[in-house]
Amino acid sequence: MAASADTYARPAFDRTLLLVVPAAVFMLLLFVYPFLYGLQLSFRPKEGGLLWNYIHFFTTDNLWPTIGITLKLALPATLINVGLALPIAYKMRVKTRYQRVVTTLLVVPITLGTVLIAEGMLLYFGPKGWLSHFLQLIHLYDGPIRLTHNYWGVLISLVISGFPFAFLLILSYITGIDPVLARAAATLGAGPGAQFRHIYLPLLAPGLAMCFCLAFVQAFSVFPSAVLLGAPAGPTRVISIAAYEAAFEQYDYSLASAIAMVMGFVQLVIVAAVLGMRRVFYRGPVSGGKG
Amino acid sequence: MKHDFSELKLDRVTRRFAGAGGKAFNALDELSLTVKRGEFIALLGPSGCGKSTALNCIAGLLGLSGGSIWLDDERLDTLPPEQRGFGMVFQNYALFPHMSVERNVGFGLRMRGASTAAIAPKVERALAMVQLAGQAHKLPGQLSGGQQQRVAIARAIVIEPPLVLMDEPLSNLDAKLRIETRAEIRRIHRELDRATIYVTHDQDEALSLADRIVVMKDGAVQQIAAPPEVYGQPANLAVARFMGYRNVLDLEVSGRDGGEVSLSGGGIALRGVAMQPIEGRRAAVAIRPEEFTVGAPEGANTIAGRVDNVEYSGRDALLDLVTASGTVLHVRGPVSIRRGDEVRVHVPPERVLVYRPD
Repeated sequence: MAASADTYARPAFDRTLLLVVPAAVFMLLLFVYPFLYGLQLSFRPKEGGLLWNYIHFFTTDNLWPTIGITLKLALPATLINVGLALPIAYKMRVKTRYQRVVTTLLVVPITLGTVLIAEGMLLYFGPKGWLSHFLQLIHLYDGPIRLTHNYWGVLISLVISGFPFAFLLILSYITGIDPVLARAAATLGAGPGAQFRHIYLPLLAPGLAMCFCLAFVQAFSVFPSAVLLGAPAGPTRVISIAAYEAAFEQYDYSLASAIAMVMGFVQLVIVAAVLGMRRVFYRGPVSGGKG
Repeated sequence: MKHDFSELKLDRVTRRFAGAGGKAFNALDELSLTVKRGEFIALLGPSGCGKSTALNCIAGLLGLSGGSIWLDDERLDTLPPEQRGFGMVFQNYALFPHMSVERNVGFGLRMRGASTAAIAPKVERALAMVQLAGQAHKLPGQLSGGQQQRVAIARAIVIEPPLVLMDEPLSNLDAKLRIETRAEIRRIHRELDRATIYVTHDQDEALSLADRIVVMKDGAVQQIAAPPEVYGQPANLAVARFMGYRNVLDLEVSGRDGGEVSLSGGGIALRGVAMQPIEGRRAAVAIRPEEFTVGAPEGANTIAGRVDNVEYSGRDALLDLVTASGTVLHVRGPVSIRRGDEVRVHVPPERVLVYRPD
């Protein structure tokens, strides 16, 4: 088929290509230019040589650990989100009376801003919040409950805001898989568990990898909840806080740019690793023949 | 799970669906059928007649609303599909796109916990049976439609099922391949020596493949009989229409003589055989286009008319004949006839089937 593709008569210029222009301009002005600007800015430090910012970042005790702190939040949050979304989306793949209700309920948090979620969480999970009151009322747990202004507060908020995203993405992948495949597997002796393992999971793997990447990138750039719900001076001093401080407290845009570049690089490494793993999986159409 | 059996019994198998406005309707209404080992059964009917519903009920992909299914003395309808052990071939093949041909075919054996060493020769034999040896390592997407369908057949038969279920397996293939694969399916059925239930809307397929045909309409069985009987003696008008009796005339009964009925109306007078007890004053006659002889002398069971349309079809032509009163007859005749010709056609009384009007 590839050989015959060249023999088709094509007009010299496909004018539908012009449809790409607005998006391309948008990307150039709002992504490529700022990125390149930031990149060159990061190599023009206030003092010292070309790489001073980067050397400074990796030798300063309140800067380089932010990578680890952010990863420690973003990776578990992403794993929880994808891991929770997968079974629920799998269950929701068949149309039932409840499917729409459940889907709507699960997706609602996507409409809430991070700040709103943080406010709500402070009220609910705080030391004097409803949860704490309730648990003490029924004497399930009498000690103080610390789920805000620490690591857990930020993690919970990342799960609340990230879950609907992962859920919707996985749901769309799952509903794209022809249910006849599972039926065929059933007639061949595969029970529900085996159908999931042998049919759905392998066909979903590329989608799961994609979902993991998107959810991870979203979680890695956590900022408002790390400040509002976390302990921004210590355990949740994430990399974006470091960049914010450099830019707006020390007015060192050059250092801030360098931190942003490091942040982007870490995201790139993780995304590349996950997408690289995708190569071992089947990546073709997910239907079982003509249909 | 069994590999052999002596009979499969469907006892008043019923399946209801919620229809428009919440009103339930029977997609399958009390289907009773006994399939013997070695038989090839075709479920035949127009789309929406319940034939696929019946197949899915047997496979366990749809639950029953009533009735029961038995394989010898084992009740099956309470078992999930994975415990019934029937092989099923789907209309759109339903091959697993991420598995090679070999792994697709071996899937059922793996699910049964067979060892790799035991699987390989069986898969090889199944692929040889559908003439796909040498394609084992390809992915389904790299095969043609006909090859994919043969992989689907191999996948269904490799588990040595007592019963192979086929849901319109040829409807996605082109005409030539359809006829080739049809012969193939018949050969495989013979070699396996078990039973096949085959769903189709194509009369030719059902006639050429089946030992017995189950004709269905609106969820209900119309006739269960061997192909010559379904072809020659349809049980009712619906079956006759579906089996290619294109001329259905509503006439007045003018006389009865045992099984023979005389009818007339619109300038046409015919004698025919009653296929059902005819009580009323009106009856419907059904005649195949190929039962007419064109160019007959004046006499009994002849009809005169003008040729209004000619469809050339190689050996002969399909003529639309309009009688003086405006009745249109479909008649097979010689290709020499032109539009506008006045002709007289004759049909023997034993090929004029008389039914109660519907």
